[in-house]
Amino acid sequence: MLKSKRKRKEMFDTVLYTLPAIILVTVMMYIPFVMSGYYSLTKWNGIAKDAEFIGLENFVTIFSKSKDFTNALLFTGKYTLLFIIFSNVLALFLAVCLTKKFKMANVLRGVFFIPYIMSMTIVGFIWKFIFTQGFAKLADMTGWAVWDFSWLGDPNLAFYSVVLVGVWQSLGFYIVLYIAGLQAVPSDVLEAATVDGATSRQRFFKVTLPLLGPSITTCIFMSLTNGLKVFDIILALTKGGPGGSTYSVTLQIYKEAFQNNNYGLGSAESIIYFLVVLIVTQVVLKFFSSREVEL
Amino acid sequence: MNVKTRKKTGKIVFYVLLLLVAVIYIYPVYLMFMNSFKPFGEIVRDAIALPSKLEVENYTYVVDKIDYFRLFGNNVIITVTGIVGIVLFSSAAAYMLDRRKSKYTRIAHLLIITPMLIPFQTIMITLLKAMNVIHLSGSRLGLGVQYWGFGIPMATFIFYNFMKTIPKELDESATIDGANTHITFFRVIFPLLKSVTVTVIVLDVMWIWNDFLLPLLMVNSSNETKTLVLAAYTFVGQMNTKWHYAMTAMVLAVTPSIIIFIFLQKYIVEGVVAGAVKG
Amino acid sequence: MKKKLLSVLLSTAMAASAFAGLGVTAAAEENEIYMFISSPEYADAINELIDAYKEVAPDVTINYETTQNDYPTLLKAKLNSGEVPDIFSSTSGKEIDVYREWSADLSDQPLAETMLPSVASSMQSTEEGSGIYGLAIKGNYFGIVYNKGIFEELGLEFPQTVEELTAACEKISEAGYKPFTSGFSEWWVFKHVWQHYLAAAATNADTTVAELVAKFESGEAKVADYPELYTNFFDFIDLVVKYGDDKPLETALENELAAFGSGEAAMVCGQGAWIEADALAIDPELQIGFNGYPVTDDPAQCQVISGSDQALRVYKDSESLQATLDFVNWWYTSEYGMDWFNNVAGVVPPVKTDAESEFEVIKQGSALEAEKGAAPLGVCYSTDSWHQVFGELMQAYVAGTADKDATCAAIEEQWAAIEGAQ
Repeated sequence: MLKSKRKRKEMFDTVLYTLPAIILVTVMMYIPFVMSGYYSLTKWNGIAKDAEFIGLENFVTIFSKSKDFTNALLFTGKYTLLFIIFSNVLALFLAVCLTKKFKMANVLRGVFFIPYIMSMTIVGFIWKFIFTQGFAKLADMTGWAVWDFSWLGDPNLAFYSVVLVGVWQSLGFYIVLYIAGLQAVPSDVLEAATVDGATSRQRFFKVTLPLLGPSITTCIFMSLTNGLKVFDIILALTKGGPGGSTYSVTLQIYKEAFQNNNYGLGSAESIIYFLVVLIVTQVVLKFFSSREVEL
Repeated sequence: MNVKTRKKTGKIVFYVLLLLVAVIYIYPVYLMFMNSFKPFGEIVRDAIALPSKLEVENYTYVVDKIDYFRLFGNNVIITVTGIVGIVLFSSAAAYMLDRRKSKYTRIAHLLIITPMLIPFQTIMITLLKAMNVIHLSGSRLGLGVQYWGFGIPMATFIFYNFMKTIPKELDESATIDGANTHITFFRVIFPLLKSVTVTVIVLDVMWIWNDFLLPLLMVNSSNETKTLVLAAYTFVGQMNTKWHYAMTAMVLAVTPSIIIFIFLQKYIVEGVVAGAVKG
Repeated sequence: MKKKLLSVLLSTAMAASAFAGLGVTAAAEENEIYMFISSPEYADAINELIDAYKEVAPDVTINYETTQNDYPTLLKAKLNSGEVPDIFSSTSGKEIDVYREWSADLSDQPLAETMLPSVASSMQSTEEGSGIYGLAIKGNYFGIVYNKGIFEELGLEFPQTVEELTAACEKISEAGYKPFTSGFSEWWVFKHVWQHYLAAAATNADTTVAELVAKFESGEAKVADYPELYTNFFDFIDLVVKYGDDKPLETALENELAAFGSGEAAMVCGQGAWIEADALAIDPELQIGFNGYPVTDDPAQCQVISGSDQALRVYKDSESLQATLDFVNWWYTSEYGMDWFNNVAGVVPPVKTDAESEFEVIKQGSALEAEKGAAPLGVCYSTDSWHQVFGELMQAYVAGTADKDATCAAIEEQWAAIEGAQ
C-alpha cells in the first residue's frame, strides 16, 4: 500500500517535470509539422486559397522525375561527414588548449565563438571578398597555385569552401560544449593519474577522453543534426551554385516549396528527409551512448 | 634546468601557435568591424584594405535610424523570456529523463529530442498559422515563449547528457535526509548543474539574440517589437545593399552578445562536481 | 491529492497559460493599412511618402514593413495565416496571375490614367489579357552600363553589332583594361542579359516575346532554332568569360561594382539603372554611359529595355480596401506623389511626368528609347522560379560542367517543366 503510493507519487513527479517540455515542443513543432505534412498529399503552390488533394503522387514524383533530391541527399551526406569530423576534432583540440590556465584563455574562447553569432549575410559577403581579393593577395605573396583556384566558382571546390566556412562558423559552439565537459572531469582523478606517473598524453587518452563520453555524444549528435540541417551557410555563400552543385536537402526543399511554388512537393520531400534523419541519428546515438563510461 | 627551459620554450611555441590560429580565425570578424568604419565606396572597392579615415557617421546614422536603444530593449525582453523558460523546463525534464528510467521516460525522451531534426524552413507557413490561433505572434513575450518550444530539445539534450555525470548517490542521500523531489532537484541537483546551465545560457542567448528567421516571421511588423538583427537587414536589398550601414548595424547588434559571452565565461566554474562529491 | 492536482494544473499550465493574453494581434481597422513589401533599399523614401500622406489623411495609419531576405516565403506564410497585407509585392508579368486571386484590379482607378502604358502592360493578367493588377515603385532601364572615359580614351564608339562588340573587347583588352565584369555568381544577371537576345529572336522570327516564351513553355520551341539565342547569346557569354573576370562565377554584384567603380572594367554585364548611385559612391568622377546590347548584326536591334519588373499589389478583400486605394491613387496622381519618384526615391518614374532625372542611365536610356525604341521587358513573361533555374543552368555552362547542347536541352526541358505546369 505504502509502496504503491510512493510509486504513484514518483510517477506523478516524473510527469510533472516532463510535461511542460512535451507540451511546448508539441505546440511549436509537432503541430506545425503535422499540418505541413497534410500538404504533402496535395498539389499546392503555397499561394492559391485551395489545395488539391492528390494522394501519394508527390512521393512518387520525388524519385521518378528528377535527380535533384537524390543529389541533394548525397551532397548533404558528404557534407555532414566532413563537418562532423573536422568540427569535433578541431573543437576538442582547441578546447583542451583553452582550458589550460593562461592569461588570454578567456579572450581566446571569445574569439573562437564570435563567428557563431555573425549574421549570415555578412559572413557571405566577407568570405566572398576573402575568396576573391584576399586569396589574390596571398597568391601574389606566396606564388602558390592554391590561392588562384576558383574556390567558390568551381563546382568541386565549392563543396570544400562550404565545408570550410561551415566549420569555421560553428566551431565555437562545440568548443564551448567541450570546455564545459572538460571542466566537469574531476580534478582528483587527474591528480591521482599524475601521482601514478602518467604522462600528459596518457592522462588525456586514458583518463580524460573516456570521461568525456557524454560531451562527445552531445557534440557528435549536435554536429550531426546541424550538418544534416545545413542551410544558411550555403545560402550565404553559393545559393546552391555554381550550377546547382551545392544544394543541400534543406535548401532543395526550400527551393521546391518557395521558389518553384511546389509547396506540396516540398512538404513531401521534408517528410521523407525527416524519416531519413530520424533513422540516422537514432543509430548514431545508440552507437555512442553504448560506449560511454559512466562515472 | 635544461628540461625546464625546454618545457618553457615548448610552452611559448604552443601559445604563439594558438594565438596565430586565433588571429587567422578572427580575421573575417575583424573585417566586419573594420569595414563598419568605411564609407560605402571603400568597402565595395576593397573590403580588405584599411579605412582611409574612420567614418563615425555610419554609427551615428545607424543608431538614430534603427532606434537602437528601443530595439535593444526588445532584444533583452525576448532573450530573457526565452532563456528562463528553456533552462527551467529543460533541466527539469532532463532530470527525470535520466533518473527515472521507465517506458514513459523513454517515450518522453524521444518526443522531446526529436524536434531537433525538423528543419525550421519546412514548418514556417503552418507555424505562423498555429501561432496566430493561440495569439503568440506579433508580441515580444509571445516570441520569447515560442523560443521555449524551439530551444527545449537541444537544451534538454545537453542537460540530459551532463546529468549522467552527477552521481545518483546525491539524490539518495537527500531522500534519506527527508527531502522531497522538488527540494532535491532545486536545492541539490540544480546548483550542481551550474557549468552546464551557463553553457546552455551562453548558447541560447547567442542564438536568440542573433536569430533572424523566427523574429522576421513573428515580430517584424512594428518598431515596438522588432529586434536588432531585423533592423540590420533593412539595409540589405537584392540589387542595392548599403554595406556600410549593414556592417555597422551588425556590429551594433552583435557586440552586446559578445560582451555577455565574455562575462558569462568567467562563471563556467571548474570542478563543481568533483568538489561536491568530495564534500 | 487536491493540492497535487492543483500543482499539476499550475505547472503544465505554466506553458499553456502563458499563451493567453500575450499576443497583441491588432484588430484590422478600416483606416489601418498594412504594407508588407520587398525592396528595403527604398525604405527611407517610402517612409517619407507615408509621412507626407499623413498630412493629407491624418486618420489613416500605414504600418510599413520591409525585408528582402525570404520575402516570397514570408508573404506566403502571411497569406495563409490570415494576416494578409493590404499592400504586398511580387514581380510583374507572369507573377501577376500567380497572385491574382488575392489582388485587386486597379484598371478603373484614377492611377490607371497616370501610369505609363509600358508599366501598365506589365501589370495585366496574361491569362485574361486585361486588367491592371498592380502598380510599380519604379520603372527600370536594362542594358550595358559602361565607362565612357575608357571608350573615349581609346577613341571607341559604343559597339552596335556583335562584330563591333568583339572588336571593341579586343581593343579594350589590349589597352590594359578589363572589357567586361560578369556578375555570373548572381542568377538574375543571366535573365537580364537573356531578355535582350530573346527580344531579337522574337522580332526576327516575326513573333512577339510573349508568344515565343509560350512556345518554350509548351515545349514546342528549340533554342537551336533561334540563332539569336543559340549562337549570339552563347557567344556573348563566352565573350564575357574570355574578356571578363578571372573567376567569373565568383563575381557577384559587389565585385562588379568594385571592378567598374575603380575604372578597371569597361562594361558591366547584366545590370541597369540601379547600380549608378553605388558606382558613383566608389568614384564620383566616373563617367557613366548606357546602351543596349549589341545582339545581332543589325544596329537597330541594339536597344535598351524599359519597364517595371516589380509590382505592388492591393489585397482585394481587405477591410481597409478603400483607404488603401485612396493611398495608392494619391501616390500616383498627386503632385507630391508624382514628384516623389524623381525627387525622393531617385528612380525612373512609372508615371507620366515631365520631370528630368539626374541619373545618367535614366537620361541616356530615355534618349535612346526616344531615338530607336525600346525592346520589350522579356523577364516579366516568366517567373523567378524559372529564372533561378535558368541562372543555375548557365552557371553550369560557364563552369564547363555542361556543354552548349546539353545546356540548351536542359533549358528546354526545365522551362516546360516549371512554367508549363503552372
